[in-house]
Amino acid sequence: MSVRLVDPMDWEPIKEQIDSDFGENVLQKLVGDLAPVSIPRGNTVSFYLVPTGWIEYLQRGFGDFTPSSMGIWLGDMSNNRFRVSIAVIERLARLTDRELVVSRRGAESFTYGKSILRESVVHLTPGLKRGQRVIVKNEHGDCLGLAALSVDEARLERLGPEKLVAKNLVDIGWFIRRLG
Amino acid sequence: MMPRKELRERARSLAKKYGYLQYMIERYLALWGEEETLQFLETCERPVRTAIRINTLKSPIRTVVERLEDKGVSLEQIPWVPEGYWADFGGMSPGALTEHMLGLYYVQGVPSMTVTRVLDPKPGDVIIDLAAAPGGKTTHAAQLMNNQGVILAMEQDRQRLASLESNVYRCGASNVIILRGDSRKAQTIGIRPNKILLDAPCSGEGLLPVDPSRKTSKSMADIRFCATREIELLETAVNVLIPGGIMVYSTCSIAPEEGEYVIDDVLRRHPEIHVVPIEMEFGSPGYTKPYGVEMDSSLVLARRFLPHLHETEGFFICRLEKEDEET
Repeated sequence: MSVRLVDPMDWEPIKEQIDSDFGENVLQKLVGDLAPVSIPRGNTVSFYLVPTGWIEYLQRGFGDFTPSSMGIWLGDMSNNRFRVSIAVIERLARLTDRELVVSRRGAESFTYGKSILRESVVHLTPGLKRGQRVIVKNEHGDCLGLAALSVDEARLERLGPEKLVAKNLVDIGWFIRRLG
Repeated sequence: MMPRKELRERARSLAKKYGYLQYMIERYLALWGEEETLQFLETCERPVRTAIRINTLKSPIRTVVERLEDKGVSLEQIPWVPEGYWADFGGMSPGALTEHMLGLYYVQGVPSMTVTRVLDPKPGDVIIDLAAAPGGKTTHAAQLMNNQGVILAMEQDRQRLASLESNVYRCGASNVIILRGDSRKAQTIGIRPNKILLDAPCSGEGLLPVDPSRKTSKSMADIRFCATREIELLETAVNVLIPGGIMVYSTCSIAPEEGEYVIDDVLRRHPEIHVVPIEMEFGSPGYTKPYGVEMDSSLVLARRFLPHLHETEGFFICRLEKEDEET
């Protein structure tokens, strides 16, 4: 595995997806003065944001070592689909208003990998449509993860308490579950 | 010191009573005498207090303290680690709280968080962590560097690498490059750090209060094997560190064979390396004559955590400096 500066051709679909999910120029704001780099792993390519000062390290290589991660993990591209990483959700939340706030019980359930039911929804940004990615927060304002809406926001009030509102894409419980 | 035959008989009896391998008790008796050995064995029957390090990369200390206290966690600050607290979770699992998943704190032994404080990372430093997983010290260093500078965190084992990555992401440590490989080849990366952290893989003899299986799981040959690897890693560290640089060598072992002996060996072979004082008040001095073997007198500047004296896991910590070429 080697680290590469990201080719603009590879970057475009990521920009399209993140900006479409979270708002215009969100990716550019997320990147700021950092440099995007990638590490290929089989069929997946992982993307990271690193200080430009690190580029000399990347160009020199890491001798007998294999780089496994560096800087801020932005996400992974697999089968032409980019998945935003849990490590970047908090930064993303500062740049978008597309969010879903859940109750204490809903938050607990979400961090166990469960999806979000109507009864757990405290607030959802108005006007969002089915399929939209939303940052999931608890009532403290903590970022718990990312979900995809299963219904239009306009239909929320008409749903029964146990109806699915958003599908869990990634949550902070991953940190613990990953350690198994 | 007790006559050899008497020592062996006493060791046999204590080993049976407390469930240890006999060779371990023989070494404790030779090192500390009977009274201190008994204190040690009794203390190791009790668990050590849980401790956490608040992650200031995510939130101010006060905010996290208030959140945890609201949940019924009792906290007591560790005097020499401003971000460290002894924590009584009152039956809750420290790893299951939302605050933990959010990376607001890291469950970490007091000696482990002390090691990073002894290294004293600063923003802009170039640090190599030669045995980084599971990432407690790496993320602590990132915190003290305020994510500025770079930490090259090395680990060979794939599973341990996963835990390192997970903790780095959870804690929001963004100045870390994680490298998979054998740390003994650190010179191949061609980067000369100004600080090195070597919390060397060891026999874990200091973890007896948290892992009773250690009473019988390691032989003297295992300790010798670990010591050999520790010397190799320390040799690498000496070669890679820039002149004038600082490194901290630590192990979670109470065995002088993995602490003082290893440092004494490197001091003999490398006159450019010196043990330097640790400007913090904790633990007790390193040994200069363990088992009657004369060591470099500067080892008194190293520090030990011992379960029966400090109510923590056992640990050895030594701060070393590589002489500047001009001096």
